[in-house]
Amino acid sequence: MMKVLLIEDDGGTAEEIVAELSELGFEVEWASDGIDGLDKARALQPDVLIVDRMLPGMDGLTIIEALRKEQVSTPVLVLSALGAVDDRVRGLRSGGDDYLTKPFAVVELIARIEALLRRPADSRGTTLRVGPLELDLIERTARRGEREIDLLPREFRLLEYMMRRSDQLLTRAMLLEEVWNYKFVPATTNLVDVHMGRLRHKVDGAGELQLIHNVRGSGFILRAQQ
Amino acid sequence: MRQLQLIRSNTFRWASAVAAVFAIFMIAMFGFIYWKIDGYLITRSDRMIAQQLNFIAVLPQDRRVDAISDHLSQDSRGVQYAGLFDSAGNRLAGNLARMPQDFRVDGASQAARVAPVGQLQGGDPLIRAVGRRLENGDVLVMGRNVDETGEISRVVGQALMLGLLPALCVCLLAGAWLSVRSQRRVEEVNQRVQRIIAGDLRERLPHRNVNDPFSRLAVIVNGMLDEMETMINALAGVGNDIAHDLRTPLTRARLSLERGRTHAITVEQLQAVADKAIGGIDQSLAIVTALLRLTEIENSRRSAGFGNVALHEILREVCDVYEPIAEDKSIELGADIGRKLHVWGDRDLLFEAVANLVDNAIKFTPVGGKVGLDLLRGDRETIVRVTDTGPGISEQDREVVLRRFYRSDKMRNTPGVGLGLSLVAAIIKLHGFRLVVHPGPGGRIEIACPDKANGANLPQG
Repeated sequence: MMKVLLIEDDGGTAEEIVAELSELGFEVEWASDGIDGLDKARALQPDVLIVDRMLPGMDGLTIIEALRKEQVSTPVLVLSALGAVDDRVRGLRSGGDDYLTKPFAVVELIARIEALLRRPADSRGTTLRVGPLELDLIERTARRGEREIDLLPREFRLLEYMMRRSDQLLTRAMLLEEVWNYKFVPATTNLVDVHMGRLRHKVDGAGELQLIHNVRGSGFILRAQQ
Repeated sequence: MRQLQLIRSNTFRWASAVAAVFAIFMIAMFGFIYWKIDGYLITRSDRMIAQQLNFIAVLPQDRRVDAISDHLSQDSRGVQYAGLFDSAGNRLAGNLARMPQDFRVDGASQAARVAPVGQLQGGDPLIRAVGRRLENGDVLVMGRNVDETGEISRVVGQALMLGLLPALCVCLLAGAWLSVRSQRRVEEVNQRVQRIIAGDLRERLPHRNVNDPFSRLAVIVNGMLDEMETMINALAGVGNDIAHDLRTPLTRARLSLERGRTHAITVEQLQAVADKAIGGIDQSLAIVTALLRLTEIENSRRSAGFGNVALHEILREVCDVYEPIAEDKSIELGADIGRKLHVWGDRDLLFEAVANLVDNAIKFTPVGGKVGLDLLRGDRETIVRVTDTGPGISEQDREVVLRRFYRSDKMRNTPGVGLGLSLVAAIIKLHGFRLVVHPGPGGRIEIACPDKANGANLPQG
């Protein structure tokens, strides 16, 4: 069972997160201030940390810095009410692995924790394989079984990211950040959907088993098996 | 209390200082005049007594005594002195009782205290005198009283009093008047400012003519107040807009929740209601996020993240992202990126600005239209131009479109938060670029990036 340590001072938010994560089968520990949080992080050795940026006792980023100094490389998701770019950068520089701005959807949080827990597929190989899909990273070609898939560069990039994180829920925000390098929310809300629609049209041909799945209200999953 | 304030006031102090300096200069000037006249009179007396001495000295011995008495008898004012003494110092002729003390008999003029014959009281007068030893050993002394200089000093002193005292009084009165006047004006300004503080934003500072520095200051402050009044009114308008834009989706969310609570029978129905409510809340949150982002960019003073940004790459990426969106709407998205052009700026923010412009252009262009994205060189500037075949922005809308939340009535039913262009404007301002909005029909917006002196914005390649 995966162990999650949540360091969050707002009881209401913490309660929701703990309930949701427990339901999904995580073992969740909660610390309500920075000092307690750092102690628990050392003692429990969790698989992933969720740290609020602003905490009584000790700042969230200070906790991460302290842990990194002790050579603890546990992935960290930083939560913050501050949407400021500089804060975001600071959060990532001090060793946090991802950053989520409040308010957030619970699915978004779960998806990011899953992504943190499951490191992407080995990136040293020159070919990525998910089910019948095959991506040649050198030749920049894609095929599904025998069928050659003709992809535009942007579609190739999107498919590569999805194949590295197959069987994981990928939210629109994650795709925007990782694939298109967006640092803001685009005015056109269906931006990702349009791109995904194009890619799905090419990947999942007529009569073929559907690989790219739309998860209602949250994002997309590339599934190898049904 | 009032008097004390008057004396303490800077204006009055300055006036007093000026009066003092003026008095010092006057005294110095009169002193100089006195000194010069005194010197002139002494020189003249010296010349006269030297001439008289020469005249009498060359006379034969027997005529000298007569000449001396003649000389003295002609002096009605009693300023002339003369004395002839034998080698033993005994008086032979003249009105000097004896040889003056410490008298040098060498033909040089000098000041000497003499004892006139027959004068018993009043002290010995101090005169200019010259003496010479004659061939027969006698000593001839000629002198002249220079008491006139004392008279002159008296006259000069009187003139000084007559001139200086009124001048000083005028100075102090002027100082007091100026001080009272400036205090009154400060008081007047204070009253108006108090009214402004109390919330009367239309109040302005008084000013009379433009040449007076005080009035010029008032005009400057009034200009600032005009600007602030406009800004505050705009902000109040923005507040209303925000409230309205937030209320609409929240009202919808509330309605669907309320209806769902009453009417939903199955879990599916309740879920549908919840989804609808979440959608409404998300829309409200999007507005808040966009607002925070706008404030963040507007307040940002950072240029630490600035670097050399390849505009042609940004344009290509934006095209890449928006091509499918445009295609879905049957809009032709064409990019004309002729050269590789760089500017000094924040890559992410510039990407956001261009993406927002293209996003807007696609949104407001009808199906089958065209959106163009060009990168070109203007007159010492690099220009990113976004054109579309939509309605464009009318002349009267040009200013207001950049205001937060503005959406022209035609666009009210188009989805979007309405902050896009404000965000672009804030980003452009942060970079020191210009946003040029050309009037419709047909949208044409340009980001003009002037070349920097250090050449960072100059075209490369």
